[in-house]
Amino acid sequence: MANTVIGSTIVIDGEITGDEDLVVQGTVKGRVGLRQNIYVEESGILEANVETATITILGTVTGDVVASERAELKSNCRVVGDIHAPRILIADGASFKGNVDMDG
Amino acid sequence: MARQSQSTPADPATLIGPGIHVRGRVTGEEDLHIEGRLEGSIELTETVFVAPEGIVIATVQARDVVVSGVVVGNVTAEDSVTLNAGAKLVGDVTAPRVIVADGASFSGNVAMGGEPPPPRKRKNAARRAAPAKPAAKAVAKPAAKAAAKPAAKKAAKKAPAKKAPARVAAIPTPRAAKRDDDDTIVVKHAAVESASKKTSKKKTSKKAPPRARVPKPGKRRVGRR
Repeated sequence: MANTVIGSTIVIDGEITGDEDLVVQGTVKGRVGLRQNIYVEESGILEANVETATITILGTVTGDVVASERAELKSNCRVVGDIHAPRILIADGASFKGNVDMDG
Repeated sequence: MARQSQSTPADPATLIGPGIHVRGRVTGEEDLHIEGRLEGSIELTETVFVAPEGIVIATVQARDVVVSGVVVGNVTAEDSVTLNAGAKLVGDVTAPRVIVADGASFSGNVAMGGEPPPPRKRKNAARRAAPAKPAAKAVAKPAAKAAAKPAAKKAAKKAPAKKAPARVAAIPTPRAAKRDDDDTIVVKHAAVESASKKTSKKKTSKKAPPRARVPKPGKRRVGRR
């Protein structure tokens, strides 16, 4: 599947928008607006305000996250920022600092 | 991680998919495949691939650049720039190797060779100075000094201008015309615009009709863009 992948040595400073899954292994700063799924892998660093359908975080996210469906914080992830999503999953071992808002 | 594999690898390291729009600065040390849209700038130590459906409106700097889609912006490569059939590139290319395939569309300047790309101003000045007149004069003057008395200077000036310098001028002229076409793309950039304005001013001081007012074919093209 031709996902969009931001490789581990790549740094994007700006804005990513679109209608496609996004896998972040590198660094993205700025803003991300997607209507699909975002995966932040272990090596991934997202320093951005994120708007998406679902987000799965294994790496680091700094910034506010707005997910229209689901936000999932896997163990060993680090998240600093507010999360707004109807369903939020935080695994054991995840590090999170910020507000949670689960109002539809 | 796909390292330097040919243009369509199964598992590209970094891919901007067709549904994605990136705006900003992209830097990195691995191959980048663009099937979507990217605006801003790219700085890579590896290869940038622009897929047939990819659109890049950016300054691109990389080791290699392979274009099958659309690129608008200056492209600098340490190694090579390849324009495949169907590619469209508008901008200047600086690379030791530039490959343009049949069916590719390209407009812009090309700088190859070992020397660093000459600064814009000089390029522009050379372009304006190239047409027949200045070249002819330069050759005519020493000829006149050597051969003729001051009284005969005028005649001598005219005579050799027809012979020897004609050959000198003949070569640069068509090139200059071609470059003037290329100029139209570059004019968008503010720096070059001011530079070309300066040069055109110089010209008007030499020649009577202010060229800027006449809609040259080059000017028209700018408008179309």
